[in-house]
Formats: sequence, C-alpha cells, structure tokens
Amino acid sequence: MNDSLNLKNIKKGLEDKLKSVSTEQDIVSIQLEYLGKKGILREIFSKVLELPEEQRKQQGEKINNLKKEIEELITQYKDKIKGNKSLEYSDLYNSLPGKKPEIGHTHIISQAINEIIDIFKPLGFTRVRYPEIDWEYFAFEALNMPETHPARDEWETFFIESPADKKYGRMVITPHTSNGQIREMLKGNLPIRMLNISRCGRKQIDNSHVPSFYQFEGLVVDKGISTTHLIGVLDYFAKNFFGPDRKIRLRPYDFRFTEPSFEVDIDCGMCHGKGCKLCKDGWLELGGAGMVHPDVLKAGGINPEEYTGFAFGWGVERTYMMKSGTKIDDIRYLFANDLRFLEQF
Amino acid sequence: MNVSIPYSWLKEYIKTNATAEDIVKVLSLHSFSVEKITKVNGDDVFEVEVTPNRGDALSVLGVARELRAVLPRNGFKCEWIEKEVKVPQLQDKDKLEVIIKDKTLVPRFCAVVLDNVKVGKSPKIIEERLEKIGIRTLGNVIDITNYMMIDKGQPMHAFDYDKILAHKMIVRQSRSGEMITTLDGSERKLPEGVIVIEDGKGRLIDLCGIMGAKNSEVDEHTSKVLLFVQVYDPVRIRKASMSLGHRTDAALRFEKGIDYEGVLPSLWEAANMICEYCGSNVSSSLIDIVNEERKPKSVAVDYDKINQVAGIEINPEVVDQTLSDLGFENRNGFVVVPSWRHDDVEIIEDLAEEVIRLYGYYNLPGKLLTGEIPVTQRDESFYWEDKAKVLLKHLGFFECYTYSATIKENVTGSALKIANPLSEDLLYLKTSLIPQLLEVIDKNKGYSEKIKVFELASVYLPNGNNLPLQPFMLGIVGKGIEYVELKGIVESLFDEMGIQEYPVFEISDYDGGKLGVELNFEDLVKKATKSRTYTPLTSFNSMKEDLTFEIPEGVLYPQVETIILNADERIYKLNFKDIYKNALTFSIEYLDKDKQISSQDTQEIRKKIFDCLKKINVTLKG
Repeated sequence: MNDSLNLKNIKKGLEDKLKSVSTEQDIVSIQLEYLGKKGILREIFSKVLELPEEQRKQQGEKINNLKKEIEELITQYKDKIKGNKSLEYSDLYNSLPGKKPEIGHTHIISQAINEIIDIFKPLGFTRVRYPEIDWEYFAFEALNMPETHPARDEWETFFIESPADKKYGRMVITPHTSNGQIREMLKGNLPIRMLNISRCGRKQIDNSHVPSFYQFEGLVVDKGISTTHLIGVLDYFAKNFFGPDRKIRLRPYDFRFTEPSFEVDIDCGMCHGKGCKLCKDGWLELGGAGMVHPDVLKAGGINPEEYTGFAFGWGVERTYMMKSGTKIDDIRYLFANDLRFLEQF
Repeated sequence: MNVSIPYSWLKEYIKTNATAEDIVKVLSLHSFSVEKITKVNGDDVFEVEVTPNRGDALSVLGVARELRAVLPRNGFKCEWIEKEVKVPQLQDKDKLEVIIKDKTLVPRFCAVVLDNVKVGKSPKIIEERLEKIGIRTLGNVIDITNYMMIDKGQPMHAFDYDKILAHKMIVRQSRSGEMITTLDGSERKLPEGVIVIEDGKGRLIDLCGIMGAKNSEVDEHTSKVLLFVQVYDPVRIRKASMSLGHRTDAALRFEKGIDYEGVLPSLWEAANMICEYCGSNVSSSLIDIVNEERKPKSVAVDYDKINQVAGIEINPEVVDQTLSDLGFENRNGFVVVPSWRHDDVEIIEDLAEEVIRLYGYYNLPGKLLTGEIPVTQRDESFYWEDKAKVLLKHLGFFECYTYSATIKENVTGSALKIANPLSEDLLYLKTSLIPQLLEVIDKNKGYSEKIKVFELASVYLPNGNNLPLQPFMLGIVGKGIEYVELKGIVESLFDEMGIQEYPVFEISDYDGGKLGVELNFEDLVKKATKSRTYTPLTSFNSMKEDLTFEIPEGVLYPQVETIILNADERIYKLNFKDIYKNALTFSIEYLDKDKQISSQDTQEIRKKIFDCLKKINVTLKG
C-alpha cells in the first residue's frame, strides 16, 4: 500500500533535511515540523483515526515506530551539532587525533623488575627484598670474604659513619644483593627458591655505573642441585627475556661465595656467537653466578653435606639495557629523572 | 687484576700450533678472560684478567701452565719446554746479619749478594719484552728483577748492598708516624704495623713487598747487589698497601700469595741473569730463612661429589687425567695440591671446579629444577607497590628513581653520613623522599605547567647502634595541581588498596606552587586488603538530588558529612559536589532496600537531615 511507502519517504525526507543543517536552531525547527502539534506526524495520525478499527491498530503501530525513529534521528543530529558546531567541517573534525587521557609513566627500572619477576615466577621463585644498609657481615664475612681478602677490591663499598657492631662489623651500603643469601637461609625454610630484587650501592659513577642501582639475585638451595640446574634456569631466563633464539654459556670466574664460580655470557643478538662488529667475539657478558660455597651454606645454618645450591646476581639496569631495542648508552639517565627521558618508556 | 703477556714470551715455556686467537678463545672458555690482544712490535700481547684466587697465574709461567692443560683438550699441540735450574757458584765472602722480630711477617726470607756488578743497559731481549708490556726499563739490575716478576710471578728487590749500613737488616713492623722515602721519590708517613726493614744504623731501607727505599737503591755506582726474594704475610701487605694508597704490582702479587717452592728457582734464575748480563758473581752463601714450614696439602677425590656439582657423569679417568694435567699429584684417592695452588685449593668443590672448567662449562646441558615446591609466605608489599605505581601512572604521574644519598640541605639533622662518599652531593642518606622529588620538578620546570611525580623507595632513619630503619615510603609531589586534587589522588590510592578508614596525612606547600605528601607505604600495606564483601543489589531505583547548605564558622566538612550519613539509613550515597564561599553542595542518593522509595519518603528523610544539621547551625541555602 502506498501508506507504508509514504512513511518511508517521510523518514528519507527528514534525513536529507538533517544532513544539510548547520545549527541547533535548524534542528529545533525541523523537530517542530515533524513532531510539533501541527507537525507531519500529527497529521498522519489524524488520518489513521479515520481508518477502520483493524487497519487503525496496524497503522498506529507503524506510525508509533516511525515516531521513535524520528526522535532518535533528531537526538543523534542534535548531539552531533553540539559536539561539532559545524557539520560543514566534519571531515576535518573526523581526521583529528583522539583526545588521550593524561597518563603518566612507570619508571623503566620498575618495568624491568616486573619483566624479570614474570619470568622467574613460574619457576617457583618468590620475590623478597633485603636491607640496602646492612652489616659488613652479611655483605662480606658470611660470604666467605674476610676484610683482608683481596677479592673485596672488586666491590667499591660505601661505609656508613656509625660505630661498628662487635659481631657484624661496620655498617655498609650493600654493594650486591648477595647479602640476602644468608638472610634468606637464616629464615630456616628449605628448599629455597629466592628472587631478591633490592637496591645496592657502589662508589662508582660513569656511563655504565651509578652509585645507587638494583640487582636481582636468584638463590636455589635444595637436595641435589647441580651446575646443570643453574644453566637450565639461566637459559630459560635468557630465552624469555632476550628472545627464544638466544643462548647462554658459562665461563670460569672466581667469587669467594661460590665454588665453582661462573661468568655468564649470552650470544650476541646480531651474529649469534659468530662474532661481529657489535660484539667482537660473538658473546656478551651478562653477569656472575656459581654454586653456593659450602662455607656460605654453613654460615646460613644449612648442612652442605645434605643440601647444595646455586646463585646468581645481576644488575637490573644493566641487564635491561642489554636487551636489544632500548639503545640506552648511559646508565646515569635512569637516575637523572629527566621527564623527556622518562616519557619514552 | 689484569696481566699483560706477550705471545713470544709464552713460547719460552710451550711449543704449540695454536694461534693467538685460538689461545684467547681457549683461555677464556677454560681459565681466564682475555680482555684483548694488542699488536706491539709485531708481537701479540694478551691482556689476561686473572681472578683474585689465581695469584699463581699473574705470570708468563702461570699462564703457560694453564695452556699446557687446556690447549690439548681443544685439539692443539702443546709441548712443555723443560728448564733446568742451575745453582750458581756461591762464595762466602759477603755476609748479611738478619734479625726478624716476628716470624709471621715473613714466612720465607731468601737473599744472595752479588759483587762486581756493572750497572748499565739491559740486553735487547729484556728491554723489548718489558717495553711490550709497558714496563719502563731502568738499567740491567732493576730490569732483571722486574722481568722475573712477570716471568715467574715472584716480585723481587735489589738493594745496593753497601747502602745497607752495617750489612744488617732488622725486619719489623713500623711504628705509627715513621717516615720513609720510597724509590718513586715520595716521602711516606707510615701507619702502625707495616712490614719494614731497618738497617744497622736505624734507617728504614725497605717498605717491604710494596716498594724499596730511595736510600738503598741501586744506581750507576753500585758494585754489590743484595738480591732479595721473599714471601711476606699477604694480609699485612694488603693492609699496608691499601692504607698507603700505594698499590704496586709487587704488593698485588704478594697479597694474593706466592708459590713457596718457586722462591729458590726464581732467585737462582735472577742471580744467573745478573751474573750473565752484569758481569758479576755471587759473593755470599744462600740466605734462606724458613719461618713457616709449608706441608703439601692433599684433598680426597670424591668422584660422586664432582658429578653432583656438575650434574653429569664424568669418567673417573678423565677426572684423574685433568687433575694431573693441572699439576695435582694422584695418590690413591687423594691428590696433592701443587705448591703454586696452595692458597687456592682446599676442598672437593675446588677440585670439582678444576675438573668441570677443563671439561668445559659450555659443554654441560641445562636442566630445569625439579624437587619439592618451596612453601613460602609471600610478601604482599610487592603487590601493593605495583598497584600504587600503576594507579599513579594512570593518574598522570611520572615515577622517579633518585639516589639513596643526597646533599646535607635535603636531610634532617640526624641523617646517616657516608664515611667514604663519592662526592659532597652524595654525602647523607636521605631521610625523606620529598626534597629530591622537589628537585626533579625544578629541573623539569620547562616541561609543562603541570607536573606530577612520585617515588616509592626507602628512607634511612638512624636507629641507635642498630641498622637504620629503612621504611618504604611513597613520596608524591606536584606542580600546577590543587590541594583537593592531590588529596583526592591520595584518597583514591586508599580506595584502590581497600583501606576503609583513611589514615591521617599531611599535604605540604613548597616554593613555586609545589605540593607534596609523603606516606609510610608499609603502614598502608598493613591496612590494605584485597578482600571485598558485596552488598546485595536491589531491584528498586534510587532517587538523587543535590542539596546546598550554608556552613557557619567553625564547622568542618567531616562533621557535616557524618551527621547527614547518620540521619537516616536510607541515605545510600553522599558525595561532596561543590563549594562556593561557605556554601557546600552535596549530591545525595536515597535508596530503600525493601521498597521503591517515594518522594514522600525523601521529603521525610530530608526533614530529618535538616533537623540534625540545625543543631550545629547548618541550614539549607536559599
């Protein structure tokens, strides 16, 4: 019937009109034209009243639906005009960038720490934190490093002006997270899978050293722990952190608190161990590791005949900087707090 | 400590087909890192990073001994060139009276006198080799002592015998404040306990193990030389050299331990060289005072333990062969530690290290951990720290990391001081996070009108003679933000942490429109909770309205809030909306959980509110 066609035309006509409006006022007048007391819809309605009962009901419903659609259309265009002011420039408007909410930045060190935790967590490691200002005993003596030992030279330790403790020696800024090894062992819970991420300090400053920095220290103590376990865990870390195609290797080194001790290398991301301009011989140094020295286990109250373990402790910042992509060439940026730097992470 | 070794010099000890690059690779994988190879006058000079436990390898001999063990395992030939130690002709003409006050100062004291010494230039080969590794040539006698230190790892000293007055030596510890002028011309004031030698006239003639004294040095007029080869107490040498700030190559070797059995061969070889190159003869008998007997050390070989450390099975024959290649002598289940490793090898783990590093750590497979899952109590702090960081980030904050130490102006009076600071800027341990965050804002003032920063870190509060308290704090500082905005941020954090009762906190004003607040994060963690209890939802609708009250002088917001909330249980939510002068606008939401609330109900509630507020003279505005 031509009635329904008519209704469609009404809606079409409205749409055309709305497309060309540019002010809210125009829409109000269109609204009056269609929905007003003397508007188009009223007029159709009055015609419907004249129809026989059956048709009247059917037609009435249709008109009601149309009314709803018209109202929706009008509201839609009103909103558009309000936000836009001028529909004439709608293409330009739509091409604008989104208005982003003001979001800040967590620090790159926090991000690195989270990434490290996420890798070790599934292996059953539990995160802990041990004091940055600690006794010499935990940082050195208990780690098989008496004051007279030349190995101490490697640690550029800050000392605190404070009376020395009879039992624990001087107060220091711990130069490594290994002070946490003994503290963790002394808790008395075995086996141990510790991930100690803490702040350390060393008397050094240049493009690869800062006086405050973070280390992450893994310590595993259990029955039957071997060098192969250390390799397995570190390889898992390296593949997850640096990329599935990377691999690690161990070389001999010496730390007083591990025996044997290792230097851990990762193959260069560019040449994978062949040697290239970036890496010279194909490998890059990640950090130190080793099998926990029996004297250290003893100092931690653990029987080395029964338990063995491994440990590693690496710089958070340094490890993160080695990840391809960051391209940070000076570690001091991390503590300079220049917002132009921080906003990049 | 790094040591420079020319490849050509190594060939005095070994014959091999390995190239310089091969040597670098093999040494790095099995023994020591080689930091670099430098080409000097057509020779390859290795810079070897010798670990502190391996004083024995700070020499050409030591590196050659390693190569003898590791090269053949990597498919290279390596033949050892045996050298015979010839004892020179001795004469008993010149004497030296030696008094050692404390036997522990010098476990072994060896010397000979040589006469007819013609001091002059060294032969070319010695000069060239020393120059290649950056040691200045200083005439034949001194050059020979330096040469032997690099060749054998044994530091030695040459005195002008006639400058040792009364030909008498007293080895003793220094008294505090004694002065000595060393060979480099420096006058040094000694602390107590440094090993020194006094001559027959009471002059100090040697700063033992560190550097000789000027008053007894060999010069162009010298005709008799006392060649002096010692083993000193490593701890005393280290202490002295550290406290004098004079870390000489000799001291660095002495403090790492000297091969007891290497002393005499080194002495004889040096004496022979002086005889040959300086035209002299040995004019004394051998002075060899052994103050400490060293018995060979032996360690039981526990093959199972070695396998356990490695995590793989290593054939016992391979174990035996490896140890023997490194100079360990097999004796039925025990090995005797070679004299040059005496200070380094003690326990089975040490032997395991030797065996496995020669096997090649890089040859071991990786295994994941098995075994029991540790039962641990998780520290919830980390969860909440992360929550706080993420929340603040999304509220537009920059997270900062500042140094633990700072300037005096940034700390309170009792702050801990670093005894050996890097600089004046980093002298005190921070007692609050705020000052350094204010500095961050100032440093970045050109960045934006509005800057918000925070840091989550420890501060350090003295705690008597105990370790300082190191509470984890949250410092928040902003520029270009309002007081209520910052307060709202802190309160949002409390909400995020599930803290129902807001702790008291103080927002402070700082120069340049900065606001800051510092919270003890550990206290917040104690109050934080992850658990949430839900209130059943009703199907009834609430009614909302805004009400504005005039607040008289002396009445504060919390008071008004409490009164309204307590006026009727159907007050579902109450929020501060706006303030204009003393007119406070609240938005109030009414809800009856049992039935649909009506406008009559809200009228009734409203009346209750007004009645309650009237008591403190708060009235509806308008």
